[in-house]
Amino acid sequence: MITEEFEPTTDTVEEEASVEACTKCTACNTVCPVARSTDIFRGPKALGPDMERFRSPQEAAVTPGLDLCSGCKLCEVTCPSQVSIQEYIRRAQNQGAREKGRSLRDWVLGRTRLLGRLGSMTAPLANFGNSNPLFRVLMERFVGIHRRRPLPKYQWLTFERWFKRHPRPVKSRRKVAYFYGCWVNYNDRRLGERAVAILERNGIEVVVPHQQCCGIPAVVNSNMDLARRYGQQNVRHLTPVAQEMDIVASSTSCGLMLKHDYGHLLDIPGSERLGAKTYDIMEYLWMLHEAGELDTDFQTVPMRLLYHAPCHLKSHGIGYPAMRLLRLIPGVKLEEVDEGCCGISGTFGVKVEKYDLSMKIGRRLFDAVKAAGSDYVLADCETCRMQVEHGAGATSAHPLEILAKAYGHG
Amino acid sequence: MPDTSTGVVVIGGGSTGAGVLRDLTLRGIEAVLVEKGDLASGTTGRSHGLLHSGGRYCVNDEQAAIECVEEGRILRRIARSTVEDTGGYFVSVTEEDHEWEPRFVEGCRRTGITCERLSLDEARRREPALSRQVRTVFWVPEDGHLDPFYLVVGNVESARRRGARVMTHTEVIGFLRDGDRLTGVRIKDSKTNEEASIACQSVINATGAWSGLVARLLGVEVKVVPVKGTMVVLSRRLAHAAINRCHKPGDGDIVVPGLSVSILGTTSAKVAHPETLPIEWDEVRRMIEEGAMMLDGVTTARAMRAYAGVRPLYDLGAEAEGREMSRNFAVIDHQVRDGITGFTSIVGGKVTTYRLMAERVVDVAARHLGVRTPCTTAEVPLNDREEPLDQLRHRPSLLGVPKPHGDEPPLQPLLCECELVRPQDVAPWLKDPAVRDLEDVRRRTRSGMGPCQAAICSYRLAARLVSDRGLDGASATRAMADFLETRWRGVRHVFWGSQLRNMQVTTGLHMELYNVDRELMLQHSPPPLAGEGQGGGRGAEPAEVGAQR
Ligand SMILES: Cc1cc2nc3c(=O)[nH]c(=O)nc-3n(C[C@H](O)[C@H](O)[C@H](O)COP(=O)(O)OP(=O)(O)OC[C@H]3O[C@@H](n4cnc5c(N)ncnc54)[C@H](O)[C@@H]3O)c2cc1C
Ligand code: SF4
Ligand code: SF4
Ligand code: SF4
Repeated sequence: MITEEFEPTTDTVEEEASVEACTKCTACNTVCPVARSTDIFRGPKALGPDMERFRSPQEAAVTPGLDLCSGCKLCEVTCPSQVSIQEYIRRAQNQGAREKGRSLRDWVLGRTRLLGRLGSMTAPLANFGNSNPLFRVLMERFVGIHRRRPLPKYQWLTFERWFKRHPRPVKSRRKVAYFYGCWVNYNDRRLGERAVAILERNGIEVVVPHQQCCGIPAVVNSNMDLARRYGQQNVRHLTPVAQEMDIVASSTSCGLMLKHDYGHLLDIPGSERLGAKTYDIMEYLWMLHEAGELDTDFQTVPMRLLYHAPCHLKSHGIGYPAMRLLRLIPGVKLEEVDEGCCGISGTFGVKVEKYDLSMKIGRRLFDAVKAAGSDYVLADCETCRMQVEHGAGATSAHPLEILAKAYGHG
Repeated sequence: MPDTSTGVVVIGGGSTGAGVLRDLTLRGIEAVLVEKGDLASGTTGRSHGLLHSGGRYCVNDEQAAIECVEEGRILRRIARSTVEDTGGYFVSVTEEDHEWEPRFVEGCRRTGITCERLSLDEARRREPALSRQVRTVFWVPEDGHLDPFYLVVGNVESARRRGARVMTHTEVIGFLRDGDRLTGVRIKDSKTNEEASIACQSVINATGAWSGLVARLLGVEVKVVPVKGTMVVLSRRLAHAAINRCHKPGDGDIVVPGLSVSILGTTSAKVAHPETLPIEWDEVRRMIEEGAMMLDGVTTARAMRAYAGVRPLYDLGAEAEGREMSRNFAVIDHQVRDGITGFTSIVGGKVTTYRLMAERVVDVAARHLGVRTPCTTAEVPLNDREEPLDQLRHRPSLLGVPKPHGDEPPLQPLLCECELVRPQDVAPWLKDPAVRDLEDVRRRTRSGMGPCQAAICSYRLAARLVSDRGLDGASATRAMADFLETRWRGVRHVFWGSQLRNMQVTTGLHMELYNVDRELMLQHSPPPLAGEGQGGGRGAEPAEVGAQR
């Protein structure tokens, strides 16, 4: 195995609650994409550590404007004092929703599995509806999904079912478990196929254990109880697997849930073991390369590529392994568009009241993408890809796609 | 500063003096309050902030307990905007505490204090932070948090609306007399050193721990023993309710929830002078250790600052004669005792019983003035528009609801981000001549009382001094430096962990980025907010001025 034995890290701050570590330096406010884009958002410092002092289990003191936080976590990445800023905001959002109830829309958006199942069962119909202007007007009016936001297409054949029929490789050096996530399962099976092909090309047998939605859609729609339930199921199913092999995820946010949020935000006992064995797929492939095990017999891919680093990837704290990997491929001209958050943040930018804000947040990125021109804009996160296509009119792809090309898979 | 005249001069702007001023005004007596610092800058603003249910005194001091019970109920009626109804717990930790329990229960019964024993499970459900060492828990719903600043300012403002005058930063330095009759006081502006007289018929000495010093100006004796107490402020509410040790009152046995913070306290040590209040590291450590016996998280919470106050303990021994009342405060009628007409002192007591104290002393003074109007302070509410103090706990919800639609105006920025103080909370005070520096603004608004201890709000407030008060840049900067300096005095006692790192940020911001050097400014610029007249004079600080709350 390439992973080290799991060792719990110790906190460097003396105080127990990280809210107390805040030195009011305001660094978090300077990176918050929402605060940068609107004057009606107080920013992470205010809604996180500052207001947290006024919250208590007995009295929520739910802060107005909390729901404008998109959950990108850039504030946490930046905070020099390791304050779990976004976690405080999330918990308060959740408590507010628990007291006031959530909208039907947020109830539904938190259940991507359910949506996915319905969507793929009725794929042609669902896709027709999702792109039908009249239907979208009704959806905006009655559900609160903005009419101009393109919705993902559903596919009839899910990744799960595809994989069942996929022949196992004859021999392999090691095994890895793949956490595909709802996106690959219901909307983008091809990405999953690529992941499997690339891993198998490197002599790794892919195992697909029984799994549940990672829970992030529920988290961001203020339903932490549901997310915790999903998380607990995943911990139950995946922890035994993790004892034997590493787990890789091809969706940035799914990976972050498994790695970090199960333990921190959702307080799921025992989740640290699972977290310690989970990797982002690009991170994993880079580790293979560093171990000298990656097949670098690449074909030339003469392409101009732009890379947008998803916010949640920054939270992984692993740098940008996709960029490092793709630069190994001959012919690739790869540039980072360092313009911050794209604005969609999962289901945030889908909502009728947040669509405009989401487009405003992304404007800097869109402008940069348009100005640079490229064959593909790459991003590890699926909603980033949706947003860049929508906002900048660019073609987007997961970095795995380019790697697949380099291996000659079309 | 012109000479003036009035009916009664009240010396001292603590809870007692403020209560006296209001009581006089409600009885239709013209009055002026003279305070050498700011309102509540003496003991009151440095108190622990507990609205005593009386539970602490019910075993050893029944009279005091009964007064607390009654006054607590009155304050909840007339001063909603200064009381937070938190309730309190009395908890036993040691075997000795356990033995105290029956006496405590009996004391509560005798003095009429509501008290209910809770199962440990129930207590922990309500207050999860209760320490594992706690064995028995009593719920005493009438404990509360009494905000000393809002209380004093509320009383004074209520009196001002009815015509009373208040002079802050004005010290009484002597008396005018005509034989045995007091005819007025000599006053001095503490910032400009200007002097003047106020002619009056009667003077009430409500200077707490200073009453002996003030009485001495007149050649009479009032025996107060200044007893220092130290408190440590934690940056968060660890408990919702007040937590008291169920034992014979001792050191460090109360944790008071004060709006956004927890205050651990207190100690008890005689000092030579009410302004000599050094804080010892050992006291700070002891407060934390004692607090930790009752509440989890005390040792790992962020200590924000430490401060000390001085109790005006009244020495009963010699004073049996002119003393009119209770065991824990005393009204001294100097006409009866010393043959001086028009001088009355009120000493001892607590913030909790300030109203009763005022009532008793004004009864005496009014009788001498021939005024028969009875006291109405137990009925007339403090504020014309009553907002419960609890609302301040919910400051976040006062900030307005933004919606990401259309063209809402931008959110109003906050001046103090830690305590969520808005510009409109500060603006009226900047117009008030009684507000003379940024510490005065703090006492009225809580600006600068959060974890960063004014690192951020100090410069925003300084900017307001320029825009709203017309100060020049140098004076505003000096005011900012003075403000930071007074905050610093309390913070330096808890230099570890996050507070230390925070002060590192503050130092970097102010000394390196803004190049603020207070020592240099002291040499080169006049004091800020000084009126006309002689400048200068406040360069050197008294040897050891204790940290403020
Ligand atoms: C550590 C500690 C904790 C306490 N905790 C509590 C508590 O939790 N609950 C409670 O109810 N009580 C508490 N008390 C008691 C309470 O704080 C005091 O009894 C009360 O504040 C006294 O108020 P005062 O107005 O008499 O005195 P002060 O507040 O001291 O007011 C006297 C004022 O007179 C001014 N002065 C002095 N000399 C002059 C002069 N020459 N000219 C003009 N002005 C002058 C001073 O500047 C001062 O502001 C506590 C006391 C201490 C020391
Ligand atoms: S999570 Fe993102 S949007 Fe939310 S406060 Fe932090 S930086 Fe701002
Ligand atoms: S970056 Fe961290 S320490 Fe600085 S203000 Fe924000 S939360 Fe506080
Ligand atoms: S969708 Fe992408 S860029 Fe956007 S919030 Fe998620 S990670 Fe940020």
